[in-house]
Amino acid sequence: MNDLLTRIRVRAWNGQPPDGRLSLVAAIIAVVMAMPVAYVVWRSAFAGADRWLRLLDERVPGLLWSTVSLALGVTAIAVVIGVALAWLVHRTDLPGRRTWRWALALPLAIPPYVGAITYIVVFGPRGWVRDWFGAPPPVSIYSFAGVLFVLAVFTYPYVFLVTGAALTRMGRAHEEAARSLGLGPLAVLRRITLPMLRPAMGAGAVLVILYVLSDFGAVAILRYTTFTSAIYYQMGGFDTLSATVLSVVLIALTLIVLAAEAFGRRRARFDSSGAPRPADLVELGGWRWAALGFVAAVLAVTVVLPVGVLVYWSAIGVGEGALDARFWGYAFNTAQVAGAAALVSMVAALPVVYLRSRHPSPASSALERLAYAGYALPGVIVALGLIFFGIRYLPWLYNTAGMIALAYVVRFLPQAMQSTGSSLALVSPRIDEAARVAGLSPLAVIARVITPLVRPGMLAGGALVFVSSIKELPATLLLRPAGFDTLAVRVWVEASESVYYLAAPAALLIVAFSVLPLKWLLDRY
Amino acid sequence: MSRSRSLIALLLGVVLVASAALTGCAADTDEVSGDGPELSEPGSLVVYSSRNEKFVDPLLDKFEADTGIEVSVLHAGDAVVNKLSEESRNVQADIVIANDLGALEYLRMEGLLTSPGNVAGIESIDENFRAVDDSWVAVSARTRVIMYNKDLISEDEVPTRVEDLTDPAYEGMFAITRGGNSGMIGHVSALRYEWGDERTEEWIADVKDNAGAIMEGHGDIRRAVGAGEFAFGLVNNYYYHQQLAEPTDNNVGVVYPDQGPGEMGAVVNGAGVAVVADGPNPESARVFLEWVLLPENQREFSWASLEVPINPEIEAVPDARPISDYTVHAMPLRELGAYWEDTRTVIERAGLDLELK
Repeated sequence: MNDLLTRIRVRAWNGQPPDGRLSLVAAIIAVVMAMPVAYVVWRSAFAGADRWLRLLDERVPGLLWSTVSLALGVTAIAVVIGVALAWLVHRTDLPGRRTWRWALALPLAIPPYVGAITYIVVFGPRGWVRDWFGAPPPVSIYSFAGVLFVLAVFTYPYVFLVTGAALTRMGRAHEEAARSLGLGPLAVLRRITLPMLRPAMGAGAVLVILYVLSDFGAVAILRYTTFTSAIYYQMGGFDTLSATVLSVVLIALTLIVLAAEAFGRRRARFDSSGAPRPADLVELGGWRWAALGFVAAVLAVTVVLPVGVLVYWSAIGVGEGALDARFWGYAFNTAQVAGAAALVSMVAALPVVYLRSRHPSPASSALERLAYAGYALPGVIVALGLIFFGIRYLPWLYNTAGMIALAYVVRFLPQAMQSTGSSLALVSPRIDEAARVAGLSPLAVIARVITPLVRPGMLAGGALVFVSSIKELPATLLLRPAGFDTLAVRVWVEASESVYYLAAPAALLIVAFSVLPLKWLLDRY
Repeated sequence: MSRSRSLIALLLGVVLVASAALTGCAADTDEVSGDGPELSEPGSLVVYSSRNEKFVDPLLDKFEADTGIEVSVLHAGDAVVNKLSEESRNVQADIVIANDLGALEYLRMEGLLTSPGNVAGIESIDENFRAVDDSWVAVSARTRVIMYNKDLISEDEVPTRVEDLTDPAYEGMFAITRGGNSGMIGHVSALRYEWGDERTEEWIADVKDNAGAIMEGHGDIRRAVGAGEFAFGLVNNYYYHQQLAEPTDNNVGVVYPDQGPGEMGAVVNGAGVAVVADGPNPESARVFLEWVLLPENQREFSWASLEVPINPEIEAVPDARPISDYTVHAMPLRELGAYWEDTRTVIERAGLDLELK
């Protein structure tokens, strides 16, 4: 019996089981990360056949339609905008293209719920457009088209960045060959560039789909219902078990998208022959100004307008005394929970990525995947799991700020893992071996030798977690204890009451912080 | 490169300061939230509120200033009831402030509230507006009314009976809230008491189809009616007063429905305060209840939301019609509790979604 267990263990670790304490620490971290989601699935088993059937019959079909149609629609628009922009700034002689390369990624710094609020201010039924022209826009912002538009303009940068990176990496050989054979610039784009970009477009599209599936703030404030907002409101209503049932369906939907992505990645490959050379650019000629107008319009709609609205209302808010002691209290609360989450993530990421990097094996990759559970799945579900689990098993943590920090760690740890992991990849395993030979235990190697070497990656990871936490909305709303509001919560509450002068300063602060990690993101792509 | 490094150093600084602060704070909260009465500090109070926070925060600030008791409040909307039942084995709150007496009576029937014992000033509230064991007390009243936009419709064209909302003549002209809204639930509970379930369900189904919009809350309706998106809407009376107080879009009027001879009268609901069973700070809860029943605080409670005080001794907001001024539906408000849970099912069965889809 023991013999069998030993054999399984050796097989799982590819013949080189790591130090017991190290694998235990990593296993605990990974299990904690996956626990909230697992607990939601477990609880849904107690919802009873009646409830399951009733929901599957009455609620799920409608939600599937509203969610999937939105996700596909947003993705289609985001891919068109993202690819067009990427091609313009990387393959044409568009004036100012170097500046546009980073400027067009700026919408990522605006959380879509903040963006949605600014669009309500301008295009809403009682918005600025009505004040200026006497009538609101013919298409209501509170409609499918409105949600589609708002989500698309704040998610296209995913596609823009991924396809842009592919365009720079992609050798020019195929395109040049095609041109030398007499194809015009548009034909090259259509018959060579776009087909070669397909894997990158797919990767960007998956990011957008996953975002739409998980977004809560923008859809809820635009009064559109997808799975996430339905789950959130179900929590507000009477029936928490129904929320777990809807969560399980949403988890399944997310897993299908992830599986499709993995499948697509395996099949679609292109070879880039030769080292990338500076491109000889397509001359836009007379189209130059039209292209410039398009790029400027995108920037105006996605950055200038939202930030302008926020600055306008913030100025009024500051005049009305919005920056009072309460406001700084909210900012302080935000910094506390986000800071704690960042710190914990920096420490917790290391054992998991270390194991994955130094002991690649089925077991270490399983642990890594477990740790991704809370990242891949919507925050509403993480919060739901933590509420159920916390009330029953963590009464001392439940209803404290620590619970919110834990939710952030569960949601964003993989950001710290990715960043620490890429630093760790640059550290030769020889160094570990030397430290072991010198008599350090495996945990001491991590603490005293590896940590100083991967510090840049850990810090960058911590910064990413910090900023993501500042923006986080659904888990914060559901888990905050009495008397503990954060900036994101205030933006949400004030905006739902149309008190924009109080919502704007907090939103502007969130946006200002969110600009910081963009630099890191842009270096990466 | 050096710029991004200094950026990261800056962020790290923020993170370090913040986490140091958090450790300090976590130690504080541990002391306060430790369960069991012997650990609790008499100097604090945890309030869960489902009312609009703009109405509640000034009141709680005044309580803090008057008594020195430190208040932590969670504004969680309708989620409060659910949160209290989820937390029954690890009680966090001392006091509930709610918009809907049906919800409070429901909490009482579930055993989640407790009697505060002898409380000074409780006699100032009519027995019809308290729980049998005084575990909840209503302080202010609101009435279901029809608010209309005077630019779009004249007073004599506005329906005078709630029943008339199903009239095809009004198709698309008005707005109601989603089925799960506490005001809507209270209203439907009263209709069930008056009409029985079958007729109530028919009414809901017809009104839902006849309405021009089903909105998240009454604040949305008052703003929409004020802005002329709809001719009228079914709201609580204080939303009409709120819209009147707006700098723009304020040309609105009000009709109290069902006032004719033999008609049911306008449906009334209340907002009030309840004492949570096994809360961490029972003494503070009692202090709060006595404090809120002081005449000046009863006035503050109703005036913040422009509702009408239940205690006739307390002066009402200017222009608000006192309850004695119009015919009120005869059901005792504590009866709402028995209907509260089922009413959601009735509403859903009739086809009006509890949440917006």
